[in-house]
Amino acid sequence: MLLEISDIHVHYGKIAALKGVSAEVDQGEIVTLIGANGAGKTTTLKTISGLRPLSAGRIVFDGQDISRMPGHKRVLAGIGQAPEGRGIFPGMTVEENLLMGAYARKGDVSKDLNEVYELFPRLAERKNQAGGTMSGGEQQMLAIGRAMMADPKVLLLDEPSMGLAPLLVQQIFSIIQEINRRGCTVLLVEQNAQQALQIADRAYVLETGRVVKSAAAHELLDDPEVRAAYLGGDLGEAAASTKVDGAPEPGSDEDTAADDTVVDDEVRKD
Amino acid sequence: MNLTKNHKGNGGSRAGRLSLDPVRDWWASAPREVRWIVYLLLVVGALVLPSESIGSFMAPSGSDWPTMLSDQIGIYVLLALGLNVVVGMAGLLDLGYVAFYAVGGYTIGIFATKYGWNFWETLLLAIVLASLSGVILGAPTLRLRGDYLAIVTLGFGEIVKQTAANSDYVNGPRGIQGIPHPPSLSEFEVLGVQPLKYGLLDSRPYYYMLVVFIVLTIIFVKRMENSRVGRAWAAIREDEDAAELMGVPTFRFKLAAFAIGAAIGGSGGVVFAAKQTSINPENFVFLVSALILASVVLGGSGNIPGVILGAFMLAWLPERFRELQDYRMLLFGAALVLMMVFRPEGLWPSRRRKAELEEGTGGMGGMGAEVAAPAAVGADVAGDAAEVKK
Repeated sequence: MLLEISDIHVHYGKIAALKGVSAEVDQGEIVTLIGANGAGKTTTLKTISGLRPLSAGRIVFDGQDISRMPGHKRVLAGIGQAPEGRGIFPGMTVEENLLMGAYARKGDVSKDLNEVYELFPRLAERKNQAGGTMSGGEQQMLAIGRAMMADPKVLLLDEPSMGLAPLLVQQIFSIIQEINRRGCTVLLVEQNAQQALQIADRAYVLETGRVVKSAAAHELLDDPEVRAAYLGGDLGEAAASTKVDGAPEPGSDEDTAADDTVVDDEVRKD
Repeated sequence: MNLTKNHKGNGGSRAGRLSLDPVRDWWASAPREVRWIVYLLLVVGALVLPSESIGSFMAPSGSDWPTMLSDQIGIYVLLALGLNVVVGMAGLLDLGYVAFYAVGGYTIGIFATKYGWNFWETLLLAIVLASLSGVILGAPTLRLRGDYLAIVTLGFGEIVKQTAANSDYVNGPRGIQGIPHPPSLSEFEVLGVQPLKYGLLDSRPYYYMLVVFIVLTIIFVKRMENSRVGRAWAAIREDEDAAELMGVPTFRFKLAAFAIGAAIGGSGGVVFAAKQTSINPENFVFLVSALILASVVLGGSGNIPGVILGAFMLAWLPERFRELQDYRMLLFGAALVLMMVFRPEGLWPSRRRKAELEEGTGGMGGMGAEVAAPAAVGADVAGDAAEVKK
């Protein structure tokens, strides 16, 4: 097992965000966490990458217990993350952003830089543009590319489809598949369950801080409950059950679309 | 000088936006020799600044121009450069910067009067103690972000001042008198000045000493900025979580920024105390922190020439317009407000800082909001409801 989280609990102050989440990610897989706002998807990722401390439980990565390891060391251990809301450095150029991704590494990174530019030709075109002035889709590409620069063993992606037009979502997902084909394990958090389940091998369904279901992705696609709750199977019920519970995660993000070739839309699938 | 030129240009910026891009482009493509000539001219300019002909314009109301330069402007520029490391480069909002200035002042006050250490020894010690106090303040508090950090540092500034005012060891509110001037290094004379003879009457040698400190600070900070440390600071300033995800040990680098900023502030305190020969807690009030922070923000947080310009303006303008008497502080405040409305990125921002501001993070670090604002939540639910109706 490359990544194994067992029974992790995480608190924001007194509020429990995760109440015992367990999950496993095997070498070479795409695993997705799906669930509504506030289910704890983002918190799970942040805990794996070390941005949130554990109050109980254990995270084992690559045979090593990393539960207490500070976040910046987990990068060297092989965990790369493209954070929620992209988290690119707005004042740095595209290339500077990518080089920041390789900050923890020593030695020559030009090979990885070329690989990212090859995956995202768009970024190569905009090398010298400030990150903050790019469109939402480009920023997402940059966030993924930057995480790849650390040469991670597992890539954590937090809602890469958030706020992007359907066409662009397709593109991002096919790139995620390509990254996976090249040997990088992917843990994907998505609200866009339909898309996520189509590319994933396995999936976990999170509800208010707990895993309520785990199965092969294609099984969940056919699962009547999951269809009803997350795939718009029965629209009325679905919306009613997803929007009320729990505190929503930090909100919808505005787009600084400087680019008119990409039409960014708020896409909501819940 | 370029300072006045910039000042003029700024007057016109209310109509359209004054863009410094041509200047930046020219500078970015300027060959090495040209840059060195500009540096040299700036240093020469700084050295002739105390001359009488310049003084008659800069300080017409009869205040002593060289004294203004050494007691106000030079000190402010040095402190602003130090605070710029913390606020401008690492993006940490520090409202208690005066504390480190006080640590420097009291270090020389205590060690020079009670133990007979000379100026240079106390200077070294003050730098060490100030950076140590930066670490002591930072270690428990740098886990806080944005406004929370600002509140704690504000408190720290007051604690240092109140401790000094209430401790008999440093004579409480009366402060420490009889701090010796720095020992004179040489008696040689150029153009009627003895630049290395530190006495009571002539302020210019102190000003020159500050110029040397400022130049050294600029070189040091500039080298930092272009190193791995500088990149780490920029990343922390723009997005701290993302920086940690890139493998930047954010806590350690924030602590380093605090320590370096504090050391620079401490050295300023030593020069101030040695020039004044006496200090008391009232020299280290919150207003100093506020004015230094205003210099950094007004000038262009994170950009060294901008910060120098800002500090110069803030130290000089109230003196220049002394004839306006009580109204000058009113006008001064109004000018600051107008600046923030029409040119929030500062008089002379770096290009990168402008990009950060446009993105909306403001470059003061994320203001620590981890929970979605209620308004956004409401909008979300409303959006969902609309979708249900369809």
